Amino acid sequence: MRKIEKKKADQYFKIRTTLIVVFLAIGFLVSFGVAAFADVILETGATIMGMPAHYYMGAQGAVATFVILLFLNAVISDRIDKKFGIDEKQNVKLSGGGAEH
Amino acid sequence: MDQQAIVSLILILLTFALYIGISIYNRAKATSDFYVASRGIPPFWNGMAIGGDWMSAASFIGMAGTVMILGYDGLAYIMGWTGGYLLLTFLLAPQLRKYGRFTVPEFIGDRFDSNPARLIAAIATIIISFTYIIGQLSGSGVVIGRILNLPASTGVMIGVVVIAIYATLGGMKGVTWTQVAQYMILITAYIIPIVFLSLQITGNPLPWLTYGNIVSELGAIDQELGLSEYFAPFDESNRAQFIALLFTLMVGTAALPHVIVRFYTVTTMKAARWSGAWALLFIALLYLSAPAYAAFSRFVIMTEVVGSPIDDLPAWTEPWLNTGLLQIADTDGDGVLSWEDLVIHQDIVVMATPEIANLGVFVVGLIAAGAMAAALSTAGGLLITISSSFAHDIYYRLLKPDATDSNRLLAGRIAIVLATVAAGLVALDPPGVITQIIAWAFALAGGTFFPVLFLGVWWKRMNRQGAIAGMLGGLTVTLTYIFLSMAGITLFGIQDTGAGLFGVTSNLLLCIIVSLMTPPPEQRLQDEAVDLRYPEQMTYKDGEVWINDEQAK
Repeated sequence: MRKIEKKKADQYFKIRTTLIVVFLAIGFLVSFGVAAFADVILETGATIMGMPAHYYMGAQGAVATFVILLFLNAVISDRIDKKFGIDEKQNVKLSGGGAEH
Repeated sequence: MDQQAIVSLILILLTFALYIGISIYNRAKATSDFYVASRGIPPFWNGMAIGGDWMSAASFIGMAGTVMILGYDGLAYIMGWTGGYLLLTFLLAPQLRKYGRFTVPEFIGDRFDSNPARLIAAIATIIISFTYIIGQLSGSGVVIGRILNLPASTGVMIGVVVIAIYATLGGMKGVTWTQVAQYMILITAYIIPIVFLSLQITGNPLPWLTYGNIVSELGAIDQELGLSEYFAPFDESNRAQFIALLFTLMVGTAALPHVIVRFYTVTTMKAARWSGAWALLFIALLYLSAPAYAAFSRFVIMTEVVGSPIDDLPAWTEPWLNTGLLQIADTDGDGVLSWEDLVIHQDIVVMATPEIANLGVFVVGLIAAGAMAAALSTAGGLLITISSSFAHDIYYRLLKPDATDSNRLLAGRIAIVLATVAAGLVALDPPGVITQIIAWAFALAGGTFFPVLFLGVWWKRMNRQGAIAGMLGGLTVTLTYIFLSMAGITLFGIQDTGAGLFGVTSNLLLCIIVSLMTPPPEQRLQDEAVDLRYPEQMTYKDGEVWINDEQAK
């Protein structure tokens, strides 16, 4: 056990939180944002993959964006952990290796 | 029994045999080598198990039909049910994993060090899961009713017996791997018919790429018939209802006790993040397919069924007329079937479409087996949640801390049987269609739990008074709004399915206001909350952060 600077720990928390806020904002934009203006988008006559753009976003676009965001989050978070010297093996050991499950 | 019934039953029995085989195999391994079995489920497989646990009769049987009937307005279900995984994976799952408890009521009881909060959370968990099970039983009633050519309510009674036996046989152990198998079966069963439909209609085997043109074509057909266009937004509801429903489903998804529990089966916060990503990928396979299913189904009905003479109906209609879920009335008396003459219950669309399109007995049987897998895997997860809330959180931690293992097990079993029978009685005459009943469960989950879990993880100042006020207030507002709107009293045109908007908002406000008006929680509890900001290797203690990098001995 060794102490680390509070500043460094705060920095870790800040980067992770910023990531979460940005990703959630994108997620809300493609779902709530598009839905709120669905009729406006329909009137523009825009189409994606052969169907009206607002319909495409509801049926495929939003879901695909969510999946991409979650994988990006997993990959980027792993990199952040690495940068801050977090060792996943140590994490597993400390969380009890799931022995109680 | 006709040929269809025999093929369907054989497929269902074969898949049942597989599930039971898997749980027996895993049980044996777990007792012989306890530590290997408990080392934690890899995120990829846990993601698949979450997919099986999560995708219920509502996703499998209800969703495509809802989109087919509602058009664009049905897409709130697609976006809401997937978007919830963003909230869950970003805001709750890793932190709840680090806190390391077994159930949601346990987290709430310990985080706020309050037994009243634990009790309220346990009762709310039971109410939410109970509502959810009604939808599953209703779904299995549709499937069984069709196969055996019986009214759907008789199908429900058979479903109750099957699910009660399954839940007690399946038990706790090996449930993960059974759910993995159930996911594989349900996704195969869902995708095969739309691949054939896509081939039949457009000549291309990839439905996700081809149905766009069908959607546009449906708009044109609707226009010709004088109906409003299939893709026209806010036609069956209004903008406020669409947004409220989307919000309710998203927030509810992140707060469902039986889904959160699945994130405890992985080892670390990192594994929880990856689990969430894999889970949504597997779920998306079905959710990206449902709108295609809906479009093909509507297209087949519009082009092949509508316009046929009413006294010479195709053979597929007869068994569905017997279940009472399809009704035909020659409203304009011209002897020709029009779109308005058909009253198609939205819960039969997924099963009926392959029959309408003549895809053959095997495909229809596969759908039946897939639908049973979806209903069973979720019902199994829900019954375990109900039994642990009752046996672990209420009976053991509150009533009888000295209860023996076998007493707790008995209490859990009794809870399972009572819940199944009671839910079955309600499902005999379902108070709504499947997706609607499930939407209530989401409204209740979001309205009771989301703000309490969210603030409990991210706001150290949140205290027990706030949590109790939030849960009670949110639950009351949600329930009241559901009943009021069913009676026709609504705000901004928001219906019962969007009740979560009011429940979540009042819960959040109550949590914050009551917490600020009452003394802050003990330093120990505040420290525990701050500690959740960091990975396992970092520990927060007395205003300092420590990192544990000692080598394993």
